[in-house]
Amino acid sequence: MLPAVPAYAELAAASNFSFLRGASHPEEMVAQASRLGLAALGLADRNTVAGVVRAHMAAKERRLPFHPGCRLVFADGTPDCLAYPRNPSGWNNLCRLLSAGNLRARKGACELRLGDLLEWGRDLSLALLPQDVLEDARREAASAALQRLRAAFGKSVRLAAAFAYGPLDAREIAARAAMARIAGVALMAINDALYHEPGRRPVQDVLTCIREHVTLAAAGRRLAANAERHLKPAAEMARLFAQYPGAVAETLAFAGELSFSLEELRHQYPDETPASGLSCQEELARLAGEGAARRYPQGVPQKVRDQIAHELALIAELGYAPYFLTVNDIVRFARSQGILCQGRGSAANSAVCFCLGITDVDPALADLLFERFISPERREPPDIDVDFEHERREEVIQYIYAKYGRAHSGLAASVITYRARSAAREVGKVFGLSADAIGALSGSVWGHSSANLGEREARQGGLDIADPALAQVIGIASQLNGFPRHLSQHVGGFVITRDRLDAVIPVMNTAMAGRTQVEWDKDDLESLGILKIDVLALGMLTCLRKAFGLLAERYGIAMTLATMPKEDPRVYAMIQRADTIGVFQIECRAQMSMLPRLKPACFYDLVIEVAIVRPGPIQGDMVHPYLRRRQGREKVSYPSAELEAVLGRTLGVPLFQEQAMKIAIVAAGFSPGEADRLRRAMATFRRVGTIGAFRAKLVEGMAARGYEREFAERCFRQIEGFGEYGFPESHAASFALLVYASCWLKCHYPDVYAAAILNAQPMGFYSAAQLVRDAREHGVRMLPPDINRSAFDALLEEDEGGWRRKRLHPAHAGMAADIRSRFAVRLGLRQVTGFGEKDAAALVAARGEGYRDARDLWLRAGLSRGAVERLADADCYRSAGFDRREALWQARALAGAARAALPLFDRTGSSDPQREEATTLPVMPAGEHVVQDYRHLSLSLKGHPAAFVRDRLAAAGHVFCRDVAGAGNGACVRVAGLVMVRQRPGSAKGVVFMTIEDETGIANLIVWPKVFEKFRGVVMGARFVGVEGRVQTADGVTHVVAGRLEDATRMLLQLSEAHGLATGALGVAGMANADEVRRPVVEQRARVKPRSRLARLIVDTPELRRELRQDMERLAKPGEIRKALPKGRNFR
Amino acid sequence: MNAALPFAPNLPQACAAAPEARAVRAGDPAGGGDPARRYLSLHLPFLSTDRILRLRHGPRWRASPPQGPMPGRPLVVAGKRDNAMRLVALDERAGRAGLSVGQALTDARAILPGIDVAPEDARADATLLAALAGWCDRYTPLVAIGGADGGHDPAGNGAGRDHGLVLDIAGCAHLFGGERALSADLLARLFDMGFSARAAIAPTPGAAWALARFGGRETVVTAAGARRALAPLPLAALRLPAETVAGLGRLGLYYIGDLMMRPRAPLARRFGRELLLCLDRATGAVEEPVSPRLPAPALSAERRLAEPLSRTQDIRILIGRLASHLSERLKKAGQGARILDLALWRVDGHVARLGVGASRPLADGPAIAALFGERLTALGDDLDAGFGFDMARLSALETERCEPAGQDFLAGDSGAGDNPANLAHLIDRLGARLGIANVLLAAPVDTHRPEEAERLVPAADGAGGAKSGREGKTPEQIPGPARPASDWIDAPARPLRLLARPEPIEALAAVPDGPPLRFRWRRALREVAAAEGPERIAGPWWRGDTQTRDYFRVEDRKGRRYWLYREGLFGEAAAPRWFLHGLLA
Repeated sequence: MLPAVPAYAELAAASNFSFLRGASHPEEMVAQASRLGLAALGLADRNTVAGVVRAHMAAKERRLPFHPGCRLVFADGTPDCLAYPRNPSGWNNLCRLLSAGNLRARKGACELRLGDLLEWGRDLSLALLPQDVLEDARREAASAALQRLRAAFGKSVRLAAAFAYGPLDAREIAARAAMARIAGVALMAINDALYHEPGRRPVQDVLTCIREHVTLAAAGRRLAANAERHLKPAAEMARLFAQYPGAVAETLAFAGELSFSLEELRHQYPDETPASGLSCQEELARLAGEGAARRYPQGVPQKVRDQIAHELALIAELGYAPYFLTVNDIVRFARSQGILCQGRGSAANSAVCFCLGITDVDPALADLLFERFISPERREPPDIDVDFEHERREEVIQYIYAKYGRAHSGLAASVITYRARSAAREVGKVFGLSADAIGALSGSVWGHSSANLGEREARQGGLDIADPALAQVIGIASQLNGFPRHLSQHVGGFVITRDRLDAVIPVMNTAMAGRTQVEWDKDDLESLGILKIDVLALGMLTCLRKAFGLLAERYGIAMTLATMPKEDPRVYAMIQRADTIGVFQIECRAQMSMLPRLKPACFYDLVIEVAIVRPGPIQGDMVHPYLRRRQGREKVSYPSAELEAVLGRTLGVPLFQEQAMKIAIVAAGFSPGEADRLRRAMATFRRVGTIGAFRAKLVEGMAARGYEREFAERCFRQIEGFGEYGFPESHAASFALLVYASCWLKCHYPDVYAAAILNAQPMGFYSAAQLVRDAREHGVRMLPPDINRSAFDALLEEDEGGWRRKRLHPAHAGMAADIRSRFAVRLGLRQVTGFGEKDAAALVAARGEGYRDARDLWLRAGLSRGAVERLADADCYRSAGFDRREALWQARALAGAARAALPLFDRTGSSDPQREEATTLPVMPAGEHVVQDYRHLSLSLKGHPAAFVRDRLAAAGHVFCRDVAGAGNGACVRVAGLVMVRQRPGSAKGVVFMTIEDETGIANLIVWPKVFEKFRGVVMGARFVGVEGRVQTADGVTHVVAGRLEDATRMLLQLSEAHGLATGALGVAGMANADEVRRPVVEQRARVKPRSRLARLIVDTPELRRELRQDMERLAKPGEIRKALPKGRNFR
Repeated sequence: MNAALPFAPNLPQACAAAPEARAVRAGDPAGGGDPARRYLSLHLPFLSTDRILRLRHGPRWRASPPQGPMPGRPLVVAGKRDNAMRLVALDERAGRAGLSVGQALTDARAILPGIDVAPEDARADATLLAALAGWCDRYTPLVAIGGADGGHDPAGNGAGRDHGLVLDIAGCAHLFGGERALSADLLARLFDMGFSARAAIAPTPGAAWALARFGGRETVVTAAGARRALAPLPLAALRLPAETVAGLGRLGLYYIGDLMMRPRAPLARRFGRELLLCLDRATGAVEEPVSPRLPAPALSAERRLAEPLSRTQDIRILIGRLASHLSERLKKAGQGARILDLALWRVDGHVARLGVGASRPLADGPAIAALFGERLTALGDDLDAGFGFDMARLSALETERCEPAGQDFLAGDSGAGDNPANLAHLIDRLGARLGIANVLLAAPVDTHRPEEAERLVPAADGAGGAKSGREGKTPEQIPGPARPASDWIDAPARPLRLLARPEPIEALAAVPDGPPLRFRWRRALREVAAAEGPERIAGPWWRGDTQTRDYFRVEDRKGRRYWLYREGLFGEAAAPRWFLHGLLA
């Protein structure tokens, strides 16, 4: 008798972590299983458990019994096999099994054999999943495997069968039943689901085509015949397996054997038992005590003493001591190697961390309270990210491997997902669209913001939106958006475990030799409470370390982040003038336009400055209220007394992520755990469709407590923004210290800072040309690279007469007393395009008394002819008395093969340059020298190209960029200059922002869409433009609203004699990193939802766009961003 | 038989290829610009776009534009270069709008969103250029394609192709009223045919090439004026590698004159002897070989006849002779012919050509002769011998390695069985008579859709399998990929042949997906005794077909077996419809 209501557990469900096979997210599978009322769900992806944590978290929410498992796919002809751990030991075995398969295959593959399963199959429940057993060979192979598994593992082995609606299903299942009977194992019904509902068949077919590199039209029977591989309810399964009722019941027996839950993996902190014999907590207390004595040589203040004791108590309560010791050890190692580093994150801004030296942010200075960041209720693992110099991070990584061993440490994964653009490209290919149409669809240059791959974009690409095929492409591409594509290594997230790592999480090879990574990403690890430390690379730390080095070497000043003079009012004065080109974080134009309004005057103001120009506060519409209150134009008030405690430091306006979370707790009655789930749901809103519920709960919760609905909505939007680009106070504080340090150096030692930042390239925001220009405006003498003077890096050189006030740009006149520079900066050979560090070292080593000419350099330094030529192109032979053409003529004559014979005795006679017939070359005009400098050095110290055509510009009525602001609001002006940046924020308005530069400064242009369409070719194609437009001044920022644009590039090209022949001579040299035409904006930006307030605000402040990107690069967290960026971050 | 055919002495001409090694004129190597030498270089800067626009608007589109001076949107041709789509050709309007060859297509679109983009088709361009070269025969028989060294890429960025011809017009210009008149006539006729072209005449191919592309008004240059005419031209006019032009430019040397006035040894040391060779070839100091246009056939046999032949049976005998001669050469080379060409020169100057293709490499004389025999039979009286043919050449245009073992099976026509050689022979014979494209075979198609699972393909492609693509058929034109014959769906589940189209039936079945209990087909009610299924086959959704079919194999009480299906899933379609799709054995 069948039970009236049959029960069924699906144990062969795959998610889209079965890459290019599964067509539903793990969360969707769980949600559907729960809706269908399945007794349990097991997730079994192909040779991976990458998706189980997501499914586990979703199942927990829905209270659906969930079993993590894996579908083992063998390389030796053994049929697929489902494997589920029965207990923790089974989980360890499964992980070891997958690790073994992963490590013997190249990255991304897993090579398993039946022997592996026999070795690691204990404590696993198995179900063999043979295909086509009607075929003799396959049936025999399957029978043999079944017999061996049965012999090894007994009753825990099953034979699975699915009803696939194939031509011979009934016979197939009968054959399997017979096989099971013979082998003495139970037959188990499965559905072998690849998606949660039949509507995903098109997506699955498209994935198949992507995998097989074929078009839909050509895929034929590689596609599934029907849409049956979706989750089905128990009743349907019972109907299909009506002849085998035991098979359906067997699923419950199978699931009943599985008692393992991922929850059991918690608390995997590495063993940090101190050598001293103390407990971890005691050791931490001891180290903190010692550190405090070091930090406060005059005696530790009672307040700090209390704070440390308080924090230690909290740490003891939560059991975090080993974690702090781990971080401390890594930081201690870096310090011992002279590697500059700094911690940030929730646990980093504590008195304990300050005393340990993990961070140099004095908690007293910033009024940072440990409890604000650590929530005892949530019991989440503490979060400390450590930034290291980007050039030396690898040393730290190798130390971690060496200390904990490969068996206990590995990199976190980063799940690379399809983005709208990549999805459109792949789907377009599968539909057989022409390369041309695909290009238009996935438009790389200002085609569209990828979030809304819509009509406008399609039409722009010449595609007909009414075409049903195109509608399908767009529809499927948007479903594919967010699908995982493969696993990659996280940029710096280290997983360290107490037990063997490969028994806790499967490990796999990475693209880089000598590194292994795990299968879970940072969210997964965080969800399970597994220790992860972010070891990140930060360019600014490299810059600061180099600056400290130069300061010690040339000025005899030993300085560190900790000993730097604090709260220097002159530094704040400079910041308030927005004289911040090249410093950390506050260098972009969005920040620079905020500085004069915010007028930071103390360290905490910098913390706010760092956090405020970000999507969270902007989306939540919090920036302007804060500014008004700051400027005293609005009264500071609090929505309620209880929120005063939360918002007191920010004048009643929530600016930080922690505040938003606190509001949810205090004002909307969320539990701390709920608040955290809310934040996480925001970050992954695509995967979990529960945003609506959270929104209702927050808004209604706040309304019920008497808050204004409008304020509640704003809070929600802000949390939304934080979810996307979370920027907590704890991180802002650490960054603010680097902001201050870089500003201090730039303020007092612009020579040191200029050399250091040039030597830390590529980093930041501005091109070398702009940094050099800024240094010169601060009175620093810049000297060109030269074969007899330069090293690879920029050097400080004695400047006869020292720093001179008269060189200071009038705008910075107020700084004359602050600048303590004495040296000139000699540009390094790193500035020479295509010239490598090794060649530079060889050149310096063999220099001796100096090189006479190109031939001498070539003979003695042993450089290739190409390298000698590149130095000539960059005009580096001036000290030897040759200009670039003469040097090039010499370099050209060097024959690569002859060198070995030459130094001793020159037998080639006429080939000796001294004796060959004299050849005169045309003299290069000065203007062309400048253009060539731009091309080969990406900057010129000889002059600005615009200066050489100034006569003609003036004759045509063009004024200097410097004079635009003075022309007055509404005046009509003409200016011309080199194009530095073109940006068009992804909004319907389509306004283009350009920055141009001439010999006197820059001018910011606004191009409205109508004008843009008319002069599109000029905006997109010109390197040097002339503009006629109206001056618009607001809030101290001046723009020229373009009415007419003109491509004046030819004018520059005529500087070179070969005008018309040497097209493109200028290349993209000197153009800022931020230019979007040359370097389309990273797709990530599109995660800002369309038509959000942010999008609108971005229209008003274009720099924001750039800022968002910079954030992501600086924080360097999501690995995919790195991937998406073109190689080399400088235009050369 | 020999006596009846007065053959002239044997003049077999087997060209051992390497045509580029041979100068068209084995003339005196004296350089210095022989005043007797005259070359016309023809440059077709818009060949690719002209080809496309001629197709769209007819060949006279330039002479009488459809609407306005340039119809349609600016046209560019894009092709893949270094994994990116780049512009490889532009029409005049696109050029004026600021686009340039070598530019990335995305950049071009950014500048000019409305451009009309056509895919690159280098083969079509080459075919067209060859046809133009053939047409230029009217001026001189000595026409070379390309500059002198074939396809050259003056842009140096690997993006565009230079299209041009070189005509050796020494001694024939007077027939057209002088060089300028010849040039004007040529350009005018080309314009009427829809091509924009430039021409220049000079004593060396190099100078003519340079002037046609970079010269100003002066397009006819004498030997004495060559150096003066070349001096102001940019260095790219010397057909130098782009890297060399750039290297010289960095030294301030931009024009040909800049090189002429400087010492040669230092230049050669820095830029190689090639540089001076290019210069000398242009000025005429060094002779430049010009390649003949048509590549010689791989192998051929030729007879010149003292007395013209006109009777068909004589021609057959002649063919037999030529075939056996060719056969010897083929066998010696271990090759078999795949494409054969017979040219018969009529005494009045007309040339009759017969081409045949073989589905398998042929080296056997009688077999080759038989193929032409079939063609002659098919032609009947259409082969107009007029006053007779005085020369005949049988050429193997395309050959392949031939396995000699295969020949044994061709001995007789008997024993037509499963022997693939016999099938191939049959296909050849049918093909020779009916046209090879008309002989078809069924081939499997990889698709779930039963009615689309096979299609007819040309037998020469299907059976031999080797020569696909010869008919210019690309896989994209075929709805599904052809698969090897072993790839037929082999399930016992499907009938060998399906009905021409599924026939509607009335059926009664259990929900949701049970087999019919009885059904009515062609008015007869059939009671189902046994059934298997359903096999569920969903439609190709990307073609807009989302109907799902459930197929059943059923057997009625009389033991007759049917393959039928229900269209639409239970709950998906309002009233499911039933069809009979085929009969099972």
